[in-house]
Amino acid sequence: MLDPIILAQILWTGIATSSPYVLLTAGFALTLKVTGLWNFAQAGLMAIAFYTMFFSLNVLAWPVPVAIGVALVLTGAVALAMEVWGLQVLRARKSGNLTFFIFTLILSEFVIYVITLVFGTEPQTLFKSILSPVAIIGNIAVSDWDKLAVVTAAAGLAALWLFMTRTREGQFLVAVSDNAKLAELYGISAQRAYRVVAVVAALFIVAAMYLVGSHGGIVPNSPMELVLTAVIATLLGGIGRVFAAAAAAVVLALIQSFSILVIASRWQNLLLYGFLFAAILLFPRGVRLPRLRLAMRR
Amino acid sequence: MEYLGTIGILIAIYIILAASYNLVIGYGGLATVAHPIFFAIGAYVSGLLAIHTTLPPPVSVLVGSGCAMLASLLLAASALRVSGDYLLIASLGFQLGLLQLIKNLAFTGGPGGLGGIPATIVGPSRTPVYLAIAVVLAIATVFAIRALVRGPYGRAITAMRDEELAFSALGRNAMSMKLVIFAIGCGIAGIAGGIYTFYFQYISPDQFEVLQSAAILTMVVLGGMGTAFGPVVGAVLLLAIPQAITFLQLPPSIMAPMQGIIFTLLVLVFLFLRPAGILGDTGRRRRSAGLT
Amino acid sequence: MSHVLRTEGLNKRFGGIVVCDDVNLTIAGGEILGLIGPNGAGKTSLFNLISGVLRPDSGTIRLNGKAVNGEPLYRRARLGVARTWQHMLLFRSMTVMENMLVAPRHYPGESILRVTVGRAGVRSAERTARERAHAILDRMALDGTADMPVTDLPFGQQKLIGLARALMNDGPLLLLDEPMAGVEGAAYETMQRVVRQEAESGRAICVVEHNVSFIRDLCSRAVFMINGRILQDGPVEELISSTTLTELYFGA
Repeated sequence: MLDPIILAQILWTGIATSSPYVLLTAGFALTLKVTGLWNFAQAGLMAIAFYTMFFSLNVLAWPVPVAIGVALVLTGAVALAMEVWGLQVLRARKSGNLTFFIFTLILSEFVIYVITLVFGTEPQTLFKSILSPVAIIGNIAVSDWDKLAVVTAAAGLAALWLFMTRTREGQFLVAVSDNAKLAELYGISAQRAYRVVAVVAALFIVAAMYLVGSHGGIVPNSPMELVLTAVIATLLGGIGRVFAAAAAAVVLALIQSFSILVIASRWQNLLLYGFLFAAILLFPRGVRLPRLRLAMRR
Repeated sequence: MEYLGTIGILIAIYIILAASYNLVIGYGGLATVAHPIFFAIGAYVSGLLAIHTTLPPPVSVLVGSGCAMLASLLLAASALRVSGDYLLIASLGFQLGLLQLIKNLAFTGGPGGLGGIPATIVGPSRTPVYLAIAVVLAIATVFAIRALVRGPYGRAITAMRDEELAFSALGRNAMSMKLVIFAIGCGIAGIAGGIYTFYFQYISPDQFEVLQSAAILTMVVLGGMGTAFGPVVGAVLLLAIPQAITFLQLPPSIMAPMQGIIFTLLVLVFLFLRPAGILGDTGRRRRSAGLT
Repeated sequence: MSHVLRTEGLNKRFGGIVVCDDVNLTIAGGEILGLIGPNGAGKTSLFNLISGVLRPDSGTIRLNGKAVNGEPLYRRARLGVARTWQHMLLFRSMTVMENMLVAPRHYPGESILRVTVGRAGVRSAERTARERAHAILDRMALDGTADMPVTDLPFGQQKLIGLARALMNDGPLLLLDEPMAGVEGAAYETMQRVVRQEAESGRAICVVEHNVSFIRDLCSRAVFMINGRILQDGPVEELISSTTLTELYFGA
């Protein structure tokens, strides 16, 4: 049962599977950190990103790089438009949190309904076949998709880290997230920071949706569930800690993967929400590392 | 006639839901999205009681409502300890988690829903009787909430929403007021759930998803958050519009998303053009109650 | 002499910033104590500690000899700590009278049980509160504004309403946070008169104020704070004429 090879296989597959979630969580948590907004509209962006690629590849038969490029442009543009004509207006009006919640959630729902109308509710994948060539590396099955997913997530996080710590633009984001008013006094435009974040998040979303869409079927409503996973990881990682949230996404996926060994698969989703409950009721400020270790030992 | 009666019951139930939600978010200023889950708790508890016990239906409904209240207190007490903003996200997690639980437990019927709830009234008078009960309760709810927020209690709620710090420093216990408002609102939603269960005799977890949160929220926003009759207008409009489209006889694959698009567009338009809602006072005095 | 308020070794810090450093302060009934010092000296923080907005890291706060450290903000108000705010914090969507009516130490409308079941009691309590509110407004020559939205009043009158609302609490201690900032003319006179009357009626009053002449006119004793510490506690004239303190005050 506890064959080390099986464990290693589960570990690897778990990490690979978590990769798109890591990207989505990073984009979501970054948005939350800088703008203070639980941006549920990212579900809408996810839907736009996926269906743009789907349409480009399967209907227009464009090559993959072009499809990704078009998705990047379109998703980025919608993200910017939402920022400028939506969020900015509400901020100027000093809207309450509930208003932002309604706006972002309803916008997502709107996008999803429109897409349902156009594409229907059948599950769709980016490519005809989602089987990915598998190589055996040291007794562990590693598919091309696995490699692509892990490399993309790692590169995305590394790029984000470099951006946040090494570039002026990235440091401006940190300054705005710490104290928008103070940052403005130093001549850093919060609005500019919000736009930058919108675009960065859109990049992460396109990358993640490419991975998700080349691995399994997507229905118009899937992005809602994806964004909720990001919410859970962000809650567990602690609000305002982007990389901890991304790490929480990995940990969640691993716990779900390893749980196959001990509990029936139908309880797996429940496990995710069990963690959510615990996070909400017991650790509202996020699970700090010592506690997490404690929780895992049990 | 039967069909219209059913629509009437549904509208009455949603008026109860929207009005109680309005008490919580519009008057109380407590940003929660989990209202459907308290509707669900009321529905499931009273449904299960009806199946497994011989309790009289009104008692089952009240027990269901009591459970919804208890659950709401658990949520609010832990979330509000952190901050009012946190409640929004905590309530979302609470709703999703509990729904997941319902979907995975055997005795709730799982994802397929809970059926086989015994009919308490049989015969041709069934729908009219339920309609009467639902309408009376809806009217009672709307007017009870109106009376509550007009008197000294409402004055305190308004003050709390305006300046919580000053309010507390005058000797008012803001936390306990919030908990009470939250529990009352959610308890009323539980009653709505009980009536739903007993009339329709079948409930499924899909009815209480986040989309439902958006729908009830829409009713409140559209009608006018923080107004006594706004939720009524919102509930009637939002339930009547899809019925109007039904007559267009579109295929369901187009109908459902069309209805969704109409709802969401309505909300977005109102959010930007008339944040105070149809009945909301756009004037300065009650502005804090609106969706600004 | 018995003190209405006594703090013993009060400490509070936020991270590295000390806002309250071993503060021992007493105020007697009928006394008006001036609390002065430069911005950021910890005056408002001290008010927040006394009224219960903040919890001290250590030290004791006694009201009429009884330690109130463990009591939350709202309970301290019921025990008789009334305060105003530098930025007034009026209930903006309500009228003057509505602002006043939520302010008594015990407000019957707070309990849903009493509102629904004990309506007669609530009604009579409301009547009493309304009479008291009218009397207070009358003293400030503001009775005519009772049914106006507070935000319709000029700034000076809003400041007065802030004080009037605090006076609905008939407790022994009154904390005034910059009552005169931006107030002039008739409102200034009224403020001065009412504060003096309240002291004469036996309340212990503490005033944070930058307006030196207001302090000089009203207080006999004052406390000079800087960096969360009480630097000097003594007669007002002595503090005001001290060149050391003046230099500290203006950061020279």
